[in-house]
Amino acid sequence: MARVHFHEELEALELDMLGMGELVERAVGRSVSALVHHDDELSKEVVDGDDEVDNMYLSVEERTLHVLALQTPVATDLRLLSAILHTNLHLERIGDMAVNIAKIAHSVLDLPSSQTIMSHLQEMGDIVRPMVRTSMEAFGRRDLELCLRLHEMDDPVDRLNLGMYKEVAALAEDAPSLNWGLRMLLVARQLERVGDHAVDIGEQVGFLLTGEFREFTDASHPARSAHDAG
Amino acid sequence: MNEGGEEMDVRMIGDAATAEPVVAAGGALRVERHERADPDTAIQVVFDVRGLSVYYGDFRAISDVTLPVYRHRITALIGPSGCGKTTVLRCLNRMNDLIEGARIEGTILYHGVDLYDPRVDPVEVRRRIGMVFQKPNPFPKSIYENIVFGPKISGYKGDMDELVERSLRRAALWDEVKDKLKQSAMALSGGQQQRLCIARAVAVQPDVILMDEPCSSLDPIATSRIEDLMQELVEDYTIVIVTHNMQQAARVSDRTAFFTVDVDDEGHRTGTVVEYDQTEVIFTNPRERRTEDYVTGRFG
Repeated sequence: MARVHFHEELEALELDMLGMGELVERAVGRSVSALVHHDDELSKEVVDGDDEVDNMYLSVEERTLHVLALQTPVATDLRLLSAILHTNLHLERIGDMAVNIAKIAHSVLDLPSSQTIMSHLQEMGDIVRPMVRTSMEAFGRRDLELCLRLHEMDDPVDRLNLGMYKEVAALAEDAPSLNWGLRMLLVARQLERVGDHAVDIGEQVGFLLTGEFREFTDASHPARSAHDAG
Repeated sequence: MNEGGEEMDVRMIGDAATAEPVVAAGGALRVERHERADPDTAIQVVFDVRGLSVYYGDFRAISDVTLPVYRHRITALIGPSGCGKTTVLRCLNRMNDLIEGARIEGTILYHGVDLYDPRVDPVEVRRRIGMVFQKPNPFPKSIYENIVFGPKISGYKGDMDELVERSLRRAALWDEVKDKLKQSAMALSGGQQQRLCIARAVAVQPDVILMDEPCSSLDPIATSRIEDLMQELVEDYTIVIVTHNMQQAARVSDRTAFFTVDVDDEGHRTGTVVEYDQTEVIFTNPRERRTEDYVTGRFG
């Protein structure tokens, strides 16, 4: 009674989801690069590239629902499909955030910028992009230790995001600079959310591996550490 | 929960060979009785199966099965063909006594009483622990006669009409047959016949209902009705079901035991319990790899 076709479809779904992870990870990196280097062509490419992400999202979503409806998966298979459904949505949202950053990059081409803020945004991008990659590696390798590292990787992102308010407030004297700065707050917020989505994907991997769902970070109880969850 | 040394209900006592009670009704017989409850949930244990092995002649069909069955719960036994799940089920009401050469090792306590104590009357055991089989097996008599057959034999003195209606209502069959109680049971559909068999089991006021693949010959609608019925019956009875349909076990049962077949170096095949846990654990996060492989279909 081995269910060969069913398990082949599970593998295909996971591979497509992991492929989508590569796409959105690259999109995040490119969107930050477009912003920092004032590369409008790259911004456009990121926006246009999101159609492929959306199509993959819909495909994975539909096929996962078909498998749930037709194959009555249980145990690891059920947890895998649940994790794929959640992760698929996280990845789609990360793709949208890359698009948001790319659109903001396009909108600020003519505005004065701050090198300090730019470097901090670059720094955030340099952390969250590997976070997305790490979450996908943790999924593919079924690596719980890697999942727990995501929480630690996310801490400096949160700190940089919080510091951004002060840096933008310092631009208040000059209207065009403040206009630019407020948009950079939005960029920082998008990057911070990318980091959160990567952590959430890690939690899905944790559920897949252990059968127990635990948040690695808890916004209402921030003192609880990732290791408590693990 | 009762502790050891309690006086045993004499109706359980009789001589298996002669069917004569060794102690007259109302008499006193002291036998050891260790009724117990689950330490975590305080749910009473109906069957306490401990280290059970069953032999048919020299052939050991199952080995070292330990399996508490809880009161007012549905316990499902699943596993591949030949894993011994039906053998275990048949031990629970001593149906294996009817097979020549069958013997058991280990113990099965029923409400703390050794079910295989020679003084226990197997006829009374089967009244208290009813069975519904794979293929509906109504007697070739009227619907009414099917219901009253058991109670008549056991000396039921109450209102038979009332008993028939109550039993058929309990089996969710009354509305469909109330106007044709004198008609042959054989004219009913397969699903109705199976519910009649359940009504027949219920009529003798059992404590436990054993079900051996009760839906395997039924269509999905009839299957669904039996599954709904099981959920209602478990309020009053303890149910143990053997099923090949894993989704059925997942849908209806509270606890699931996964059996498999071990093959030794000489090719002897023996059934064993791999894992026994709450059904949701078995189907979402089983502890044993062999259970995981079976329920996910990775086990051929």
